[in-house]
Amino acid sequence: MGTIMDGCSTLRKIPRATLCNGLAIAVVAAALALPPIAIPPAFAADDAPSASDQNCLGCHGSPGMEKKLEDGGTLPLQVPADMFAKSIHRSIGCTGCHSDIDPAAHPPAKNDIASARSFSVAMTQICRGCHADKFDQWESSIHAALVRANNPAAPICTDCHNPHAVIKGAATAIDQIPCKKCHTEIYAAYLGSMHAKARLKSEQSYAPICSDCHSAHAVKPTSLGEGPEAACFGCHAGVLEAHQKWLPDAALHFEAVSCPACHAPAAQRKVDLMLIDSKDARPLGTEQVGVPVFEASSQSGGKGIDALTLWKLLQTLNRSGMTGKTVLRGRLEASTGPQAHQLTDKSKAISDCRTCHSAGSQAFQSVTISLLEPEGQRVDYGASADVLNSVISLQSVGGFYAIGGTRIKLLDILLILAILGGLAVPVGHLTLGWIFNRYFLARSQTGAPGDRPAGGGPKAT
Amino acid sequence: MQRLYIHPLPVRCWHWTNAVGIVLMILTGMQIRYLGLIDMVSFRTAVNMHNTVGFILIANFFLWLLYYLSSDRIKVYHPELSPRKHFLGSFQQAYYYGYGIFKGDPNPFHVSIYRKFNPLQSMLYQIIMMLLLPIQFYTGILLWDVKRFSAQVDFFGGVRVIDTVHVLIFIFLVFYVLVHVYLGTLGHTRMAHYKAMLTGYEDVEEVAAGTEP
Repeated sequence: MGTIMDGCSTLRKIPRATLCNGLAIAVVAAALALPPIAIPPAFAADDAPSASDQNCLGCHGSPGMEKKLEDGGTLPLQVPADMFAKSIHRSIGCTGCHSDIDPAAHPPAKNDIASARSFSVAMTQICRGCHADKFDQWESSIHAALVRANNPAAPICTDCHNPHAVIKGAATAIDQIPCKKCHTEIYAAYLGSMHAKARLKSEQSYAPICSDCHSAHAVKPTSLGEGPEAACFGCHAGVLEAHQKWLPDAALHFEAVSCPACHAPAAQRKVDLMLIDSKDARPLGTEQVGVPVFEASSQSGGKGIDALTLWKLLQTLNRSGMTGKTVLRGRLEASTGPQAHQLTDKSKAISDCRTCHSAGSQAFQSVTISLLEPEGQRVDYGASADVLNSVISLQSVGGFYAIGGTRIKLLDILLILAILGGLAVPVGHLTLGWIFNRYFLARSQTGAPGDRPAGGGPKAT
Repeated sequence: MQRLYIHPLPVRCWHWTNAVGIVLMILTGMQIRYLGLIDMVSFRTAVNMHNTVGFILIANFFLWLLYYLSSDRIKVYHPELSPRKHFLGSFQQAYYYGYGIFKGDPNPFHVSIYRKFNPLQSMLYQIIMMLLLPIQFYTGILLWDVKRFSAQVDFFGGVRVIDTVHVLIFIFLVFYVLVHVYLGTLGHTRMAHYKAMLTGYEDVEEVAAGTEP
């Protein structure tokens, strides 16, 4: 069942399948009911709106037309006639979406629209009537989750698609991408990437825009490690084989290192340790784990959660009686979203092993521990860099390890002791032999010290 | 002195392959772990060498095992079943290395074809050959391709746990190699044991009749 606006604030459910069929009737009814109160603009014969639409545009084509709302805001009511004429929605006409308007009582005497936002959110159900598949995808997205969480900035249909000026393919033009309205920094970074450069060079290029990697409607948090990289591999087929030619343990690198960590060489890198359920690798939510421990750690020293606190947290989450097993999944990634989009040509990508496999590597100085918020958005809490090379983390961060870069300091001390001990045995033994020869055997004259080497022990050959 | 054929050719081949291999593994392992502090070869070369030499050592281990399992010389690895005898022998040997050797005392242990390890060596070599090297090879294989063996890696607690075990045995082997090279000089001459491991023949003092070897 679809829904359609009845008035401006209440919804009346109608069968979705009958919606479009009813449009023609509504158009005729509206044309008969509404008197022409202004001269409609002139159109070319092939893109002229219908007579009833021209009636609507007689008023709504006027520049600056708007409505004062209950919240003190305004609702723009102007529909630029020339844009609407070119719009793909011209074919369904005004009443295709605004069938709730009573021509006899229009404009209504009473202002019943609470706010522009609530009106737009309610109107998404109209979009759903025809675009059910896209709407369902959107409902599964992080955008819809944020709308459900009453985030006023979360995008709905009309934030990306101007319903009165929808042109097929417009959203794929690089300068028309709607995402840039909110994700300005990421868009700026993208424009500097080799993807955007290739796209700008030729519209025919296969180089991706936002929706190619993140999907247009089923947008998911990019950092969950599902969508974007699957998208990378979708175009860059055979990359694993290509990396295996020069990169040892390439498959492991693909799992533990995000593509931008190497292919955005100017980016700062960080390690994200995501709390997941080991059974299905599902990220844990803030409501499951609780956040006081993270907040307390970041407030106390500013460095974030340390190795011991992290170990205790894992112990608590995995105490007997708990279902499932919580583990940390480590991943090296670009520090911020914009940095992750500074993708360069592969010739400039990082291929020097030192970047990660030497002590003190920048890549391991920044660590976060991430959880999912109820809306599905990832939230990162700071952690001390020592969680990566403390012996306490042996179990808790067991799944993430970069040889050299995150080595355990205690083992370095043990190695130094082993070398010193290994050298001390011969040096000490030879010294003892020398002392014995010089001060005991020589004095006692009982043996034949000359038969033995200076250090005692066997004869030299 | 009499000359006894203590080290057959297969054992000598295994020993020197092992010796060179373990030194290479230590050097490349150091390079891999301490990139930046040590710059002998590139990281990638070190990893590739480490992997290649590692597999050679694993093959060499199985050749050693095959040889001893098919030879009566396996008796040299038979443990001393009497704890009292074993610990007494160990104490005597430790006393000799720590004190007696300086006074010119004779080595309490007498080599024979089927008994070439003194009690300290016997205990240590069994631990190394039957426990530490197999664990080192196994953890090395897991680290060689973590993704392929991810189920086993996860079973043991993750790649960090596997690596820590690998590094702990590596640390022990560093200590062991340094001490082993020195103890090899404590024959009746400095080079006696080295020569024996090249020729196969040990110079053995003749034991007086009626003396327990």
